[in-house]
Amino acid sequence: MANRAGFLRSGTFRNLAILILVWEVVGRVDWIAGGALPGLSEILIRLWADRGDYPGHVWATVQASVLGFVIGNLVAVGAGILFVLFPTLLRLTRGFNIAVFALPPIAIAPILVLTLSGMAPRITLAALGVYFVTMSATVVGLSQFDTRAADVVRAYGGKDWMVMKLVRLRGAVPDILSGLRIAAPNAVLGAILAEFGGGGRWGLGTYLLGSLGRGDPARLWGIGLVATLIAGLSYLVFAVISARTLGSSRSVTLNTAIPDADDGAERSLPLRLAVIAGAALLPFFLWWAFIKLTGVPDLIAKTPLGVLDYLFLSDTSHIARAKLLAALAETLPITAIGMLAGLGFAFLLAISARMFPGFIKTFMPIALVTQTMPLVALTPLLVLILGRGTSVTLWITISVTFFPAFVLLVQGIQRVPQSVLDLPRAYGASAWTELRMVSIPAALPYLFAATRLTVPRALLGVMIAEWLATGTGLGNLLNQSRGYLDYGMIWTVAAVSVCLSVAFYYAILLIERRTLTRLGMQWVE
Amino acid sequence: MHHDQGIHLRSVCKTYRGRGADVEALRDMNLDCAPGSFTALIGPSGCGKSTAMRIALGLEDYDTGEVRIAGHPPAAATASGVTGVAFQDAALLPWRTVARNIALPLEVLGRDPAKHGHEIAKLIDLVGLKGYETALPGQLSGGMRQRVSIARSLITEPEVLFMDEPFGALDQIRRRQMNVELQRIWMESGSTALLVTHGIDEAAFLADYVVVMHANPGRVVEIIEVPFERPRRNELYSAPAFHALCDRIAKVLHGE
Repeated sequence: MANRAGFLRSGTFRNLAILILVWEVVGRVDWIAGGALPGLSEILIRLWADRGDYPGHVWATVQASVLGFVIGNLVAVGAGILFVLFPTLLRLTRGFNIAVFALPPIAIAPILVLTLSGMAPRITLAALGVYFVTMSATVVGLSQFDTRAADVVRAYGGKDWMVMKLVRLRGAVPDILSGLRIAAPNAVLGAILAEFGGGGRWGLGTYLLGSLGRGDPARLWGIGLVATLIAGLSYLVFAVISARTLGSSRSVTLNTAIPDADDGAERSLPLRLAVIAGAALLPFFLWWAFIKLTGVPDLIAKTPLGVLDYLFLSDTSHIARAKLLAALAETLPITAIGMLAGLGFAFLLAISARMFPGFIKTFMPIALVTQTMPLVALTPLLVLILGRGTSVTLWITISVTFFPAFVLLVQGIQRVPQSVLDLPRAYGASAWTELRMVSIPAALPYLFAATRLTVPRALLGVMIAEWLATGTGLGNLLNQSRGYLDYGMIWTVAAVSVCLSVAFYYAILLIERRTLTRLGMQWVE
Repeated sequence: MHHDQGIHLRSVCKTYRGRGADVEALRDMNLDCAPGSFTALIGPSGCGKSTAMRIALGLEDYDTGEVRIAGHPPAAATASGVTGVAFQDAALLPWRTVARNIALPLEVLGRDPAKHGHEIAKLIDLVGLKGYETALPGQLSGGMRQRVSIARSLITEPEVLFMDEPFGALDQIRRRQMNVELQRIWMESGSTALLVTHGIDEAAFLADYVVVMHANPGRVVEIIEVPFERPRRNELYSAPAFHALCDRIAKVLHGE
């Protein structure tokens, strides 16, 4: 086994070396878009020449990311524990949680810059980026505890809080750590996006925005690489921590009795409706409370009612509505097409993975690296390569949906037990029959999960591209409104894009639950 | 009803109300384990033997009847630390060392584990795990983990000891070795023991009384006294009288 693993690793290194070599050659001879893709050595030389600029920018971004990461995770773990102890609270805050998960950070960055000052917007956006991931991981970890160990504690008269203290909290540590690992790059992305939206002098986002007009591809690539490195390192740190601490503390035998999630099915209808209504209204209440607490004047900060007033009741409402609808008409079709293409491509590639195992082995590490690559760093590079037309938006959308979906799908298909695969083969099934009978059905729940999880990313990708490059759609409307100090429109775009994300998320969730229930399959969280 | 240090269940009924079908887990269950005796509860899957034990431990509610453990209701008995328990799976906390796993009941009962260092060391020695005090469960074999679980069940010096198929996950050879050791440990502790098992020879080897249960509804059908001298040794497994007793238990189990 050790030999085989070593061989695989050397194969991966070899492929990586080939990739870098091809990159260098292609870059040196300026094949792509007249030098938009410089060779690696050119990027490194530029990086060295700019070495005086980086420390200040990197320090500002890292500082905001780390602070946001710490605050966001403290809140997330605390909230997770509360949600497990009081499940009604989880149902009541579902709307808020999904909104935090689905909100495109770029849409609320300008809002945070308007209402908060100094480092606060960056820290807040970084914290928002980690909250949902860590909170879900905490809830899952605390819910799936070892019931046998809990029985031992209860058999000595231990109450629920004793089980929580002795069994569940420590048992959730692996899940929380894997949550932190995924959350860490999100914090970096959040901090950089906030730097885009708000004036400050330092930060990689500011540096990137400032360098965009200079037409120096090597510098943009350099900033992109540094941002990716920071995000990748933060991922690595937690990957190492979890590998170190968890080696010998996994459960030694498989627990067949995992507690059922409490779905509150047996409670009365009025109560359930009240909770659902509360869950839907809570985000709007928090929005209103946030504005009242920060004490920002009404002119700048719009409450939910303020946005309604802006869109429907004031003298200029019809102009605002027309602008918004025109922007939506540009943004939504391209998001949908990009997503469909990205997901479809990922699905085809993942289900045929069994036929080209060598390709997957080469491709997976690259796909995983792109997971930690901050979207903002990627966008300017794609703009350089593809220009400022619609195609760049489409490619960004495809790339942000393709990679996560592909990783999720491959991991899902890999969970199919070998015996299930052997069965059709034992009856002489062709590769196609095996695909139709095993791989495609097995991948279906993961396709739904991937769709649900990538909707917000797709919208974010399109809006970043519109903001930075194409000058169309919602992203551009947001950027323009900042320039015109059209505060009503800034809040409107933010609210509409968050609502759209949440609505899409729920629409897919509904289709997913219906389909999978009918097929008798379990959904993936 | 007696109010002594033993285990007493009187007319206990328990029905699980599921969707559609109700399952009568126990009907009129009576069980008396005299202080210092060893009782084995045997029966097919679903006969309610584990349910009876979980009720005695206060882990499940019961519909009607009365339960007294060492003279107290189950919840009071377990919370005062007079009971010890070992489950089918060792159910050790994977992140705790052997010594700290054994100390778990003390922590639940709010006692200071630091003051019981001597007892913990003695129990580790008793179950033959000297030198493994700081090992994690993942580094131990199945049999060793089960010994930790037995040591943990004895740390509170229980007057009443419950065991739910403690060696169910072990192979036949290892199980017989562990049975001899369990007998020795139990004789030294002098506690009242209740063992849930589906191994006929295990029940006949360890117990003073074998209580045979049937399913649908779960109930006691016969109590068989085991006459063999203690300490019982491995040779007993080959004795004709032992086989005759096992055959008798098997007949009752099969309802003949």
